[in-house]
Amino acid sequence: MTLAEWQIVGFTAWVAALSTLVILPFGLALAWALARGHWPGKSLVETFVTLPLVMPPVATGLVLLEVFGRRGVFGGFFYNHFNLNIVFTWRAVLLALSVMSLPLLVRSARVAFEEVNPRLEQIARTLGAGPWRVFATITVPLAARGIISGMLLAFARALGEFGATIMVAGNIPGKTQTISLAIFQNVQIGEDASAYRLLGISVVLAFIAVWSSELLLRRKTRTR
Amino acid sequence: MSLLLKNISLPLADFTLEVDVEAAKRVTAIFGPSGAGKTSLLDLIAGLRAPHLAHIQLGDVVLTDTSKKLSLPPQHRGVSYVPQDLALFPHLSVSQNLLYGQKKGGANNSLFSFEHVTDVLEIQTLIARRVTELSGGERQRVALGRALLASPRLLLLDEPLASLDAPLKSKIIPYFARIRDEFQVPMLYVTHDRFEALTLAEEIIVLVNGKVMQTGPVSDAFLHPANAEVAKLFGVETVCPGKIIATQDGLATVEVGRITLTALAPDTAATDVFVCIRGEDVILQRDTATSSVRNRLPAKILSIRPEHALVRVEMDAGFPLFSLITRPARDELALSEGGAITALIKTPAIHLVPR
Amino acid sequence: MNIMRRFFSIILAAGIVLLAHSASATEILVSAAASLNNVLTELGTNFQAQTGIQVEFNFGASSTLARQIVAGAPADIFFSADETQMDHLANKGLIDPATRVSRLGNSLVVVVPGDSALQINSAADLTNAAVKQIALADPKAVPAGVYAKAWLEKFQLWPLVEPKVVPAENVRAALAAVASGNVDAGVVYKTDAAISKKVKVAYEVPVADGPDISYPMALIKASAQPDAAKKFLAYLSSDEAGQVFTRYGFLLKP
Repeated sequence: MTLAEWQIVGFTAWVAALSTLVILPFGLALAWALARGHWPGKSLVETFVTLPLVMPPVATGLVLLEVFGRRGVFGGFFYNHFNLNIVFTWRAVLLALSVMSLPLLVRSARVAFEEVNPRLEQIARTLGAGPWRVFATITVPLAARGIISGMLLAFARALGEFGATIMVAGNIPGKTQTISLAIFQNVQIGEDASAYRLLGISVVLAFIAVWSSELLLRRKTRTR
Repeated sequence: MSLLLKNISLPLADFTLEVDVEAAKRVTAIFGPSGAGKTSLLDLIAGLRAPHLAHIQLGDVVLTDTSKKLSLPPQHRGVSYVPQDLALFPHLSVSQNLLYGQKKGGANNSLFSFEHVTDVLEIQTLIARRVTELSGGERQRVALGRALLASPRLLLLDEPLASLDAPLKSKIIPYFARIRDEFQVPMLYVTHDRFEALTLAEEIIVLVNGKVMQTGPVSDAFLHPANAEVAKLFGVETVCPGKIIATQDGLATVEVGRITLTALAPDTAATDVFVCIRGEDVILQRDTATSSVRNRLPAKILSIRPEHALVRVEMDAGFPLFSLITRPARDELALSEGGAITALIKTPAIHLVPR
Repeated sequence: MNIMRRFFSIILAAGIVLLAHSASATEILVSAAASLNNVLTELGTNFQAQTGIQVEFNFGASSTLARQIVAGAPADIFFSADETQMDHLANKGLIDPATRVSRLGNSLVVVVPGDSALQINSAADLTNAAVKQIALADPKAVPAGVYAKAWLEKFQLWPLVEPKVVPAENVRAALAAVASGNVDAGVVYKTDAAISKKVKVAYEVPVADGPDISYPMALIKASAQPDAAKKFLAYLSSDEAGQVFTRYGFLLKP
């Protein structure tokens, strides 16, 4: 492995980890609302959250490009007011990874929250705890296994993300090139050896992430 | 401190819970068969469920008032709740569970201090343990301790002894008595065991299918059931429809089945009644002799079934009649299914409930 | 189970219909550079009208197309945007050298989004701070990008421009990036700029400044329809085709 290849691996792992942290607050809030709430439009939101999971990633990437491009609703705001570019920068990589991995986190966290006995939360309320305290001291600790498992899945997904990334961040070596983008470029220009080395690393990373995720779920024997 | 439950209306699966009572004693039992709405009522009082209509007031603090769209969130009500499954937090230690509801700066009242509560409930040795390592009785006491350490103004208990076996129940009951005496916190105690209610509570609210059937001293439910439902619940074995055909000198002649009985005339002018007779009040006699008993009924024995130390005898005395006698008595009288016997019922023991 | 049987027989029938359809007319597959998209589509339609031979096109970056052919893609003709990619195939003995002809040239332009106020009057202007991101076809292998890099290297500007480069799949993708307004400028062929209404030409690279752009075409040896393919190659070398190429802005080599 060359230094450039290690840098690509490092960059990918770093942005993937960052994306997992970025989606955590929003993802948990969403998972919680879906697990416990009954509100109008709930099934609509459920569907939208699942969309990036089943739509072609390039299609999702195209949507992101439209919205976050310099002429897009959000992209235009950042570009015109803060002179900040989103597309074709590392920020777009972060965006693509976040959007594509969010559904996995939400699904796992939701199941974890649903498995927490609501009675425990109710009794905590009667003991004087407000909703935030209950969430932090009762719900999240009891759902921790499932949440972490979801984070690992999200991380693994982010590591391997390609379609949306190449659409909205481009394949810019040194700036937005992730492992999967580098493999793609290497194959195109005939650098097969490099492509296979990156492929190997990719498999190892994904394996570790998914295996840990499964381990966590399997050892869930805690009583309620 | 009194608990006012006014105009409560909550639609449930099979019926609507409607309650309009005031509970003013230290310990009030809410009694009824399963599915009567007892747990839902507790949930309303604790603020864990929203009623259709309600005015719930504890002392001079209004907890819920739907007419003013007022509802205190559960954490501000000062109402502690020990649910049927105890809901101990499995990921916290015993001491963490106990201290979860304790107000910042410790308890204002030394009555609710950690030392006092753990002392009264005898759980000092358990505090370092994990909740999952406790026995049934220990879990019960920790749940009670946790509820008390939140310095509640009202304590709700949902069938606290339901899942315990008889020996354990008799061990735990004294702790409730201690709570009642030591902590001066009013308690609402849900149970489907009428003797538990009798032991621990000063007043009772009888709830059947979401409606209040009777309130008042617990013994009244036994001795003067307000209606046939309450009578059945409180173990009046014989409940039979009858018709008062004559009243004279405070006595009523009641036609029931094929025979007539002499009972005390009820206060109402109603002629259609339920005839309620406790099994304990039916004496069986082999020989005929003169006695004070006005109601002497020849009967055919239909079944003889043991019930702990007693025996339940079902007879056809012109109407279905039950008697509870001891086993030695059964043997002495040589009772057998299909055989004949005479049943004696004292007039004051026949309770007439308007239909 | 009745339903399963029905389902499979429908699939089978569909498969047979599809296979039958593909075996009917004479068809040739041409793998051609992305920049040839519009002009070749028109020429293909003309050719079919004249000869009845159907021409299918596979447009993309010449480097990618070459890789596909090496891997066994069933193309009959390869029409590349630079000699390097054709040489790549020639060295592997995959083309018929006798049919190799380089007739077409092109020139480079710098394009900016249609509503941009950017002024580019020389190669050096690309180093201005106002130009933050420049779209090029991937300069590592795609001809349009390789040409652009060669041009900038000639003026020793490549090290200054390289950090701003956003590499694209092929030259049309670079054009699209400029059209979307997401980059400040792009270097594409003059013929590409003419296609899009959403970009405007900011600077035309003088032919003398730019590298020699050449579009070779050749028959793939493994072609299943060599006669039909050779007919199309002949057509592409005809005067009629030449006029069409010129109309689109391509340069004809003498």
